[in-house]
Parts: sequence; C-alpha cells; structure tokens
Amino acid sequence: MDQQTHNGAEFELDLGWMEKQGEWNTHAEPSKNGLTLADIQVGFYADTPEESRNLSGRPRGAVPRPGSMPIGNYTVRTKSEIWLENASFLYEEALQRQWSSATDIPWDTIEPLPDDVEQAQCQMATFLTEVEFVAGDVPSRWVSKTSPDFYEARNVLMAQVMDESRHMDVFRKRALVNGGGLMRATGATAGFVGGIDLARDFTEMSSRLHLSGEGAVLTIFRMGELMAYNDAEKAIYRLCAQDEARHVAFGVMHMRYMAANAPERREEIESYLDEAEAGMLTDAANPAGQLNQTSESLSIMLGGGRKYFDEGFRKLVSIRKRQLQEYQKRVTSAGFGDRFKNGRSRLGQMMANVAN
Amino acid sequence: MAKFPSVAWFDAVRDIYNKDDAMHGAGSGTCNCVVGVQVGRELFRLTFEGFECSQAEMITKAQLDDCDFYLHMAAKDWRTMLQNIQEHGHATDNFTLNTLDLGRVEGLSASTHNDQYREDLFFRYNQTLQFFFDGSARIQTTF
Repeated sequence: MDQQTHNGAEFELDLGWMEKQGEWNTHAEPSKNGLTLADIQVGFYADTPEESRNLSGRPRGAVPRPGSMPIGNYTVRTKSEIWLENASFLYEEALQRQWSSATDIPWDTIEPLPDDVEQAQCQMATFLTEVEFVAGDVPSRWVSKTSPDFYEARNVLMAQVMDESRHMDVFRKRALVNGGGLMRATGATAGFVGGIDLARDFTEMSSRLHLSGEGAVLTIFRMGELMAYNDAEKAIYRLCAQDEARHVAFGVMHMRYMAANAPERREEIESYLDEAEAGMLTDAANPAGQLNQTSESLSIMLGGGRKYFDEGFRKLVSIRKRQLQEYQKRVTSAGFGDRFKNGRSRLGQMMANVAN
Repeated sequence: MAKFPSVAWFDAVRDIYNKDDAMHGAGSGTCNCVVGVQVGRELFRLTFEGFECSQAEMITKAQLDDCDFYLHMAAKDWRTMLQNIQEHGHATDNFTLNTLDLGRVEGLSASTHNDQYREDLFFRYNQTLQFFFDGSARIQTTF
C-alpha cells in the first residue's frame, strides 16, 4: 500500500478509493466442492439485512456511495419476502449440474414413430415450450425487483431462468427433429400468465410457480420416461426433471422460511394455496389436467397409440393422483400441512374425482 | 470380481464413479444425499458428498431413518437390472432407476420419514445415481 501511495503522489493520482473499502483481511477458503457461495459467507459479508435500503445496486458489503441515485426499482426489500436457508447451496448445485441440449441428448437414437404418436409428442413438445417460456419469464421479472442485498436468492432465480431456456430449446428441438413440427399453441400461457405473472407478491408467485406449477410439471417430466420411445426422449425428461426438482426445492424452502419467520402472513399464504389447489386439475398450465390437447396427447403417448387411448388414460389418471399426493407432501414439508387435516384443503375431494 | 450385494461391490463401483470425470458432467455433478439400498433383507447406505460417493456401509433397518430415500427391490430384480447394465454398458429400456420407480406398483424409491423435500432428492440427483449404477458395467459382478 505504501509503495502504491507513493507512486500515486509521484504521478498525481487520486487514490482516495483505496481508503473506501469494506471489511478487510478476509480469507475465504475453498471447501471440498471448491470456493462456493457458502464458503464466502464470512464476517461482515455474511450479514443479510432484515430490511434493505439499498436502491443503488451496491453489492452487499461494499461501501455506500453518498448521494448515489436509485437505479433499481426494488420492491422486494424485506428478507422474509424472498429468503430461504439453502439458496447458496441450490445456486451452486444449479451451476454444477448444467447440461447441454445439443450434446448431452443422444439425438441419434430417435427413429420414425407412428403418425399419431409423433403428433402427440409434438403437441406435448409445443405445450412444454409454451409453458417453459413463461416459467423463465416470471422469475426473471422478480430478479429485477429484488434488492441486491439478497443476491443468493436472486442468483438461484437467474439459474432457474437459464434452466427454463434450456427446457424451451430442448422441447423445440424434439418437435423439429423427427419429421413433425410444432403443433397448435394451447393457450396454457394465458392461464399461467394470469395466475402467476400477475402475482403482487413474491411469495404469492412462488407458491403458484414453484410449488403447484413446477411440482405438477416435475411429475410430468418424471413420468416422461413412461412415454419416451427412445433414449433421447428418456434423457430429455430425466434431465428436465432434475432441474425442475431444484426449482420445486426453492419453493418448499422459501415456504418453510415463511412458516417459521413470518407467522403474520400465514393466512395470506393459505389463501394462495387455496387458489393454487383450485386450479390444479382444471388449469391449462397442468399438462395432466383436463385440457383436451394435452390430456389426449399424453394418453396417446402413454398408451402407445390412439388405439390404446384407454390404457393411456388410466396411466394419466395415476399421474394426476401422484401429482396431488406429491403436492400434499411438499406443502406439508413446507410447514402448511394443517390445511389437509382441518378441512381447509379440497385436495381429498380432488383425489376422489381425479379420473373425471 | 465382487459379489452383489456387498460393501466390497459398492466400493468397487464407488471407485469407478469417483474417478471418472464423465460421470460428473452432462447433467450430473455435485450431489449431496444419503441413499439407502435394500436388496431383499440386506441394507446398505451410500453417502454422496459433492463430487464423490464417500462411503458405502451395511446398516440396520432402523438406520434407514437417516437416509433421504432408499431404493428397494427383491434380489432377483436387482440382478435383472444389473445384468441389463452389464449387457448394454448402461441401463436401457425399462431398467433405468426412474422407469423402475414408475413401472413398479410398489415403486423403487421410498422413505421412512415421508418428507417429500428429501424424497425429491431422488429426482434431483437422478442422473448421478444412474451414472453410479451404470458404473457397475465395468466390474465383474457375481450374485
């Protein structure tokens, strides 16, 4: 430092910035998995404020610039609005488990399929491209609304946007790779946008997107191996399911944080869950729901052709049941399981009517 | 040559998994979970930490509670799965872990705690688990 200051004097440099520094003498050390975000949560830099007044885009822990103009329209400035305990962990996991739709899918295993099955595959690929577009769009909007002081949660959302863009492209590729093409848009995004993108609050959005929406799509991706006709389709669904499970984990952990730290918002969150449950089977955004385009194409794929529609539909019914069961267990894991015992949730009734 | 199931067999597969960089990319990578494996009445526990499977050990039924989830099949079904992997170099058709889970009435993955967040780790790390068992194609297995 002395030498540098000396040089500064010699060349008439203004080295005032050298005195404006955050906590110094920090020695974050890599762990077994490299230098992760968790490893740099040291000293002052680990402190996340309960309320953020940072409107200037200042990195957390950096020295504020007096008189700086607000540059971000950050409406999410309360920690509990967006926080979850394992954000750093999920972010690192997202980075380290990326895959390429160009090179990690064995596209050469795809062979011509009967017309009805190919049409059903293409309809589902069209639908999933549509849905994933919104699943990327929505979190990206919330990134720009969130204070940089909560960068861990923001980073997970940005990684999710990357995941969703890969899902968009892999299903588009599937539609265009085997003699078919894109089919009719389902309009599912209208429901999705209406139900999720108009959320006034991050937790409202997350309950709809991460818990119910992505939870339902996760079940579909997992079940994708049952309607895959080659190793390429199996890989697509398996890899997408991994990403989706991470997004669902974000929602569960955020809800768990809310349940423990924001009891005053419990009733509000229960009402978000009421709304989400009401649309679970009727909302066009659920591919296993009651929209004809998707439920018919799923049944044809699951059955093995139009002739075997009934067999496919039976499998679809079991998917719907599984979606509801897994949703119930996730909500319970998030700390809101009472609703299934005290009569508030209509999920039991929905399970009984799931075949309709 | 290693006999399935045994700690020695899991150690041999761990060794392959831990040393092969190809098993830590392409949608695999860091993996943090504790997996139970039930082969008939025999129980094992695999610990995945970051990029390695750090331990394989025999456990008691009560210790299944510590597992995020466990994979359970009759010994003959495990054998059929491993023979498919041996034959093709990796699991094909109905022998991938996820397809086995979906296709069997009793499923493949289960837990003693019923916590879906932890059960979801089977989906979240599915490709890693598949690579792990696919690694058994490179060892000679006896039953």
